[in-house]
Amino acid sequence: MTSYFWFVAKRAVLLVAVIFFGVSATFFITHLSPISPVETALGRIANQSSFSPDAIEDMRRVLTDLYGTDRPLLQQYVTFWQKLAAGDLGPSLIAFPTPAMTLVMQALPWTVALLVVSTLITFLAGNLLGALAGYFQNNMALKAFGVVAVVLQPIPYYVVAFVLLILFGFVWPVLPISGGYAMDVAPGWTLDFMWSVALHAILPAVSLVLVGFGTWFLGMRALVSNVVTEDYVTYAELAGVKRSTIMGGYVIRNAMIPQVTGLAMNIGTVFSGTIITEQVFNYPGLGSLLIDAVFGGDYALVLAVSTISITAVGIAIFIVDLLYPLIDPRVKAE
Amino acid sequence: MTDEILRVDGLKAYYQMHYFGVQREVRAVDDVTMSIGRNEVYGIAGESSSGKTSFIKVLAAAVRPPLRVVSGSVNYDFRSGPINVAAATAAEVERVRWKSLSYIMQGSMSVLNPVRRIGQTFHDFAFRPLGLPREAFDRRVLDHLARLKLPADILRAYPHELSGGMRQRVTIGLATICHPEFIIADEPTTALDLVVQKEVLHLIRDIQAEMGASVVFVTHDMSVHANVTDRIGIFYAGRLVEEGPTRKMFFAPRHPYTAHLVASLPRIGDTAQRPSLDGRPPNLAAPPDGCRFHPRCPLAVDKCRIDVPPLVEVAPGQRSACWRWQDVQPLDRSVALAHGAVT
Repeated sequence: MTSYFWFVAKRAVLLVAVIFFGVSATFFITHLSPISPVETALGRIANQSSFSPDAIEDMRRVLTDLYGTDRPLLQQYVTFWQKLAAGDLGPSLIAFPTPAMTLVMQALPWTVALLVVSTLITFLAGNLLGALAGYFQNNMALKAFGVVAVVLQPIPYYVVAFVLLILFGFVWPVLPISGGYAMDVAPGWTLDFMWSVALHAILPAVSLVLVGFGTWFLGMRALVSNVVTEDYVTYAELAGVKRSTIMGGYVIRNAMIPQVTGLAMNIGTVFSGTIITEQVFNYPGLGSLLIDAVFGGDYALVLAVSTISITAVGIAIFIVDLLYPLIDPRVKAE
Repeated sequence: MTDEILRVDGLKAYYQMHYFGVQREVRAVDDVTMSIGRNEVYGIAGESSSGKTSFIKVLAAAVRPPLRVVSGSVNYDFRSGPINVAAATAAEVERVRWKSLSYIMQGSMSVLNPVRRIGQTFHDFAFRPLGLPREAFDRRVLDHLARLKLPADILRAYPHELSGGMRQRVTIGLATICHPEFIIADEPTTALDLVVQKEVLHLIRDIQAEMGASVVFVTHDMSVHANVTDRIGIFYAGRLVEEGPTRKMFFAPRHPYTAHLVASLPRIGDTAQRPSLDGRPPNLAAPPDGCRFHPRCPLAVDKCRIDVPPLVEVAPGQRSACWRWQDVQPLDRSVALAHGAVT
């Protein structure tokens, strides 16, 4: 147990370091970019109506003060961490004066739910079917899954998303193709709202599942067809160990280990995939928010989305990491 | 042999493969007839690709394509009833597996599931065949571990936490816990150092003597045969070329191949180079006509190139498949003595 404690402690320190460096990198990238949030905001305001030069100058002063852009970079950096510790990243520009953090927190549950559900379905279905396909190599139905997986696997997220959009939005319009829930349903913990959310999540989730399935399926099939030739599987078969025990405790259990490593490495990729998928389906998650923020030059919001994403992905990988010694006893021995 | 537990008759097992419509056939086991007695330790020797592994796969009822039993029978006479594993259904074989017929596999490093505790593996392997209630089963496992001189807490260990010798003893424990009547041991000592080898060999012998099981012991290491086996069968190119009591095989081999095998053994203090045979074992996809050993045999005559020599009794209990068995030179006794084939 103490060895597990140290394992967790080491990983936790690593997690903090990853978040620190990731967020710092985002800070410097946004602050070193030539786009000034103050000028962008002023430009937009000045476009909408005519102001006197004095009024614009006043506004510039207020905004500069608000964002602190006149101070040295290092001081801005320190202030940034101080404010972040209090959960404040300044007001968003595109939705002024709503705090950027508030917008992010509104979008976060949508993305997390979409990601968790689609990743779980993809991971479980891909690995289970892949394992069966690797074990029963002559089964026709499982071979057919292999063909489907090979076809789907190389298609990019946005192509699958658009194909689904066209199929179910125009050719056979049975599913909602835009938004997180229907306009005529009030948000809340009601059955109507839940149902609407579920319906709206189908297409984005399916597009993520379809793309991810192939990778897990093909990976698992290859792993299992290797593991079944291992001596310990042959030996268990010779000893007449129950088929289900061999399949679960010997074959899948061993083939799972690299797949869990894959899952940890995959979480970041899937997250960037959701950015595109959310945009295609106009889903109210972090991805859509990030793209709006980038186009609006809203760098408080970009920073907020990045910070939360880095933290969320970091924590997800951390959790997978903690599971690792439980599935591979040899890891504990380090 | 008065009381036989295994009788193999005219066994032919070939690897049959199809490559782009062309059929290829490798005659790994070609017309083998032999028998093994109850409580006997029978050694199988031969170089790589001599067919000994394929042969014991048939004995263990572990034949998988492309290997196929073409003809012949492998009859066991177990207490639970006779069974011909060359023709039995999977369900019939399943009934004798581990209870009557068990297997010690080659390569102790990789035969244990790395993510399962030893105790769990014992449960997987032996719980069903033993058919004991959980408590009695646990006691049986503990008793058995004590017999193998393994500490009880290894049941909670994973294979990577054990040494190579311990792992091999665990494998032997797995194979013997159900008190099988017939144990096939495939190179059980090959990857171990000499001290552990000796330990493991004694363990197998002791357990065999205690439980009264027959053991087929496969190894290419002739000194292991000298120490452990009662009788030896020599395989060459898919055929049983000579068989007989271990002592006779060392002191009076009646097949030139056996004579060379024994003569190649090193001896302490003797610095003379050991003779080695020219050539290599024949390609079993296109074996030579006549005696398969003739291209490498120093005694070969024309007859050997045309006619297959039958396995005939040349001395009490000793059979040789050689036309010129009478001309085979008995070898230097000291080599055999040095390897433990005591007079």
